[in-house]
Amino acid sequence: MQATQDIRKPVKERGVSGRTFRAAAWLGWQIESNWADPLIFFIYSVIKPLSGAAILVVMYSVITNGNFDDPMFAYIYLGNAFYIYVAAVLTGVSWTVIDDREIYRMLKYIYIAPVHVPVYLLGRGFAKFAFGSLAVFITIAAGVYFLDVPLDLSLVNWPLFAVSLTLGIVMLAMMGLVLGSVMLLIVNNANFMGEAVAGALYLFSGAVFPLSILPAWLQPVGYIIPISYWLELLRRSVVGQVAESFPTFSQFSDMQLLGILAGLTALFTVLGFVVFRYCDHQAREKGYLDRYSNF
Amino acid sequence: MLDAYPTITLLSLLTYPALHLGKKDYMDLAIHTEKLARVYKLRGSKKEEAKELVALRDINLDVRRGELFGLLGPNGAGKTTLIKILTTLLAPSSGVARVAGYDVAAEPEKVRPRINMVSGGESSGYGLLTVRENLWMFAQFYGIPSKLANERIKQLLEIVRMSDRMNTKSSDLSTGLRQKMNIVRGFLTDPEVLFLDEPTLGLDVEASMDVRNFVRGWMEGNRDRTLLLTTHYMVEADELCDRVAIINGGQVLACDTPANLKRQLQRDVIYRMEVSPLNGLQPEALEALGGVRKVSHEPKDGAAVLELILAEDDALGSVVNTLTGKDIHILNLQKREPSLEDVFVNLVGHSMKEAESGADGSSS
Amino acid sequence: MALTDRVPKNSGWRLFLQTVVGRAYPRIIGLLRELSWFFFEVFLPVLSVAAYVFIYRAIGAPDVYIGFVVMGGAMTAFWLNILWSMSSQMYWEKQTGNLALYIMAPNSLMAILLGMAFGGLFSTGLRALVITLVGTLLFDVSFEVSNYLLLFAVFMLTMVALYGLGMMTASLFLLLNREAWHYANLAQEPVYLASGFYFPIKSLDFWIAAGASFIPLTLGMDAMRQLSFSGGTELGFLPVQTELAILAGLCVVFLIGARWLLGYMERLAVREGRLTESRR
Repeated sequence: MQATQDIRKPVKERGVSGRTFRAAAWLGWQIESNWADPLIFFIYSVIKPLSGAAILVVMYSVITNGNFDDPMFAYIYLGNAFYIYVAAVLTGVSWTVIDDREIYRMLKYIYIAPVHVPVYLLGRGFAKFAFGSLAVFITIAAGVYFLDVPLDLSLVNWPLFAVSLTLGIVMLAMMGLVLGSVMLLIVNNANFMGEAVAGALYLFSGAVFPLSILPAWLQPVGYIIPISYWLELLRRSVVGQVAESFPTFSQFSDMQLLGILAGLTALFTVLGFVVFRYCDHQAREKGYLDRYSNF
Repeated sequence: MLDAYPTITLLSLLTYPALHLGKKDYMDLAIHTEKLARVYKLRGSKKEEAKELVALRDINLDVRRGELFGLLGPNGAGKTTLIKILTTLLAPSSGVARVAGYDVAAEPEKVRPRINMVSGGESSGYGLLTVRENLWMFAQFYGIPSKLANERIKQLLEIVRMSDRMNTKSSDLSTGLRQKMNIVRGFLTDPEVLFLDEPTLGLDVEASMDVRNFVRGWMEGNRDRTLLLTTHYMVEADELCDRVAIINGGQVLACDTPANLKRQLQRDVIYRMEVSPLNGLQPEALEALGGVRKVSHEPKDGAAVLELILAEDDALGSVVNTLTGKDIHILNLQKREPSLEDVFVNLVGHSMKEAESGADGSSS
Repeated sequence: MALTDRVPKNSGWRLFLQTVVGRAYPRIIGLLRELSWFFFEVFLPVLSVAAYVFIYRAIGAPDVYIGFVVMGGAMTAFWLNILWSMSSQMYWEKQTGNLALYIMAPNSLMAILLGMAFGGLFSTGLRALVITLVGTLLFDVSFEVSNYLLLFAVFMLTMVALYGLGMMTASLFLLLNREAWHYANLAQEPVYLASGFYFPIKSLDFWIAAGASFIPLTLGMDAMRQLSFSGGTELGFLPVQTELAILAGLCVVFLIGARWLLGYMERLAVREGRLTESRR
């Protein structure tokens, strides 16, 4: 009788988000990793990002005859390494909508469960963030070890790095939420939207070349994308001397950059939940939540 | 040859000496299986040894051309595995299966032009294509000229009352309409042998009735076509099928016309009894009473429904006494004609629902 | 003709042809019906290509490399089509229940794959063409084609070999389940690297380039770059004629291999019951 009474108690709203996030993160971890042996999975997790980095290394090496001492190389290499997070988090959060609706056909059940759906989407993206972290670490380690990327741990501004990284991940997660929300309304052709958007933002965020390289009419796009500020902060905290060589953001102090990043993160947080609310409403209106396209 | 089957001794069918059939006899049969078995290896983790699941064992079945044949059994009985083998999608572990006279394992290319299959609950085709386009595409895979395919699509969609949805993208269809489209796909290619695997699964009553009427009409208009229907709806099998095989645990337990199967129980008396909760009384205790052949039990709205197969009317007295002795009240009592469900209970020892709830949940 | 009359059906080469057309149809019609592909499969990839162009500009690369990147970006569409719409398509068809219907039908699975290939080639060709045109206009790429006929021959041979490879890998994917998606995913960046999508393959170690040459795009792109750009020949891996001969060999190997492997894998899948299993 006691048990029956417990079950009938309404779920405490206060605990819903935490519970949702934990369950979603666990599920995401299982989906991402349990299809292969740990060793194969490890190789899979690092071979893609290392290949992506190697493409840039070869491109750079061909043109500069292997002049890896130039700060441009460290700029490209580290920018690309940290950019792994962008694809991982954007895809991780937004892909969940397609994965659960089209492939596992679970989205409708998630919706009717007492969970907080935006938090669920964020939780599902957590596994990709975790595996992305591994890829970032290995890519940077390979650069330092094999290509003499000038990263000196004793010179790293750790507090700035930690704060920037954390803020950036939250910002990316919120961008992922915006994208995932839009995916609620697209019932076809959105399979690679996360990766495609990440690929497109690669151009505007100063990840692999300074924004000043872009034509003047495109540069403003780079300045309104929070990823540009985030990557600059990471460069400053990890390889300050490299960041100094490229004065794109030199007019801003570290604190100003942090302020801008925090402001944009807050903006995207609000935007994420507002867009989710709108798209969620529209998706219900149009009956898209349990629809699969079979495309 | 098949007409010589004894009508009542069902088990004799199961051990029918099919080995004696000649090539011509095979060709006369739409489906012929001989000691057919299938074992699945269940893959676990690398450290564990692979487990084996026997999905079918020693299946001997003959289906005549022109017959509407039913495979009746609970979920997990082996019906779908049998259909997969007969439609060349799965190789038997041992034994032989022939469809339209050809060995499904050795000559799949001869079987395939002669068959088609519709499975309940599946969503074939592509969402971006319209109903007509999806059906046209499948018609192309069977070599039906485009003009004729489009004519047939139109006719068939009219029959299933879907003409107005011909140019709707299939991703915009409801589950029921998708299933109707699927059913049309099966009939569109005019197969010699059509396999319908739970075709009314998930359909509402009206749509199910449409499907049954259509199946009946198609069989009446094409006396040389054969249809194998799997279902776990007893009424569907009873209503549609010329003959029915009852399958459970991968084995065929009986095979005959619905009338003959039920005739087995003709001498028995069948009661449906609604009683108050059983207060811990096990149905087996009732089966131990003299004259009581089988008892199946199903809880219902806080009460219980007992299906009693009695050898004679007099046995009812002892059942009533036992129940009242346990302070169980009789709420309703009905004497009725035997159904295929009773045949199943008689053969298996419990109802189809009980068999399904007792199964491990894995679909075969 | 009454519904109950016997339906005449084609067999042999007519059935083969009908199947190819039937399976190519959804791919072609999809292109017209879902115009969103222009945003997802042209606009966004052009931005990715642009990023690589600006990297070259940032490090002061000669103009010919910009042309290389635009061509590589366009050819990416074909590789993605092979991975996601040929190879792993079989896994997806299995999930949706279509694979069983394809196998059970009297057509040849080879015809289904050919239909997928023709449909994919048409739709992807259009995408690649648009990416090339847009990239060329945006980045002022100048082509200097030395031999149009040879360029066309290289492109066609590359496509035949590439889609032959796609058909061959598709048969391997018949046996796969959820891991199929990951294997296809894994074959993106490493192939972009090994096949030189964004740089001349000659830049890699000879044996790495030779090893990567089993992917038709490696030599196909190298030969097309040699034939399309001024100075392309100096950056070429092997002489165009040699590359053409190897590509012709790959066409034969992959098409025969696809036919053999498809039959073998189908039998294996039927034996092991993996054609209809759904292990998401």
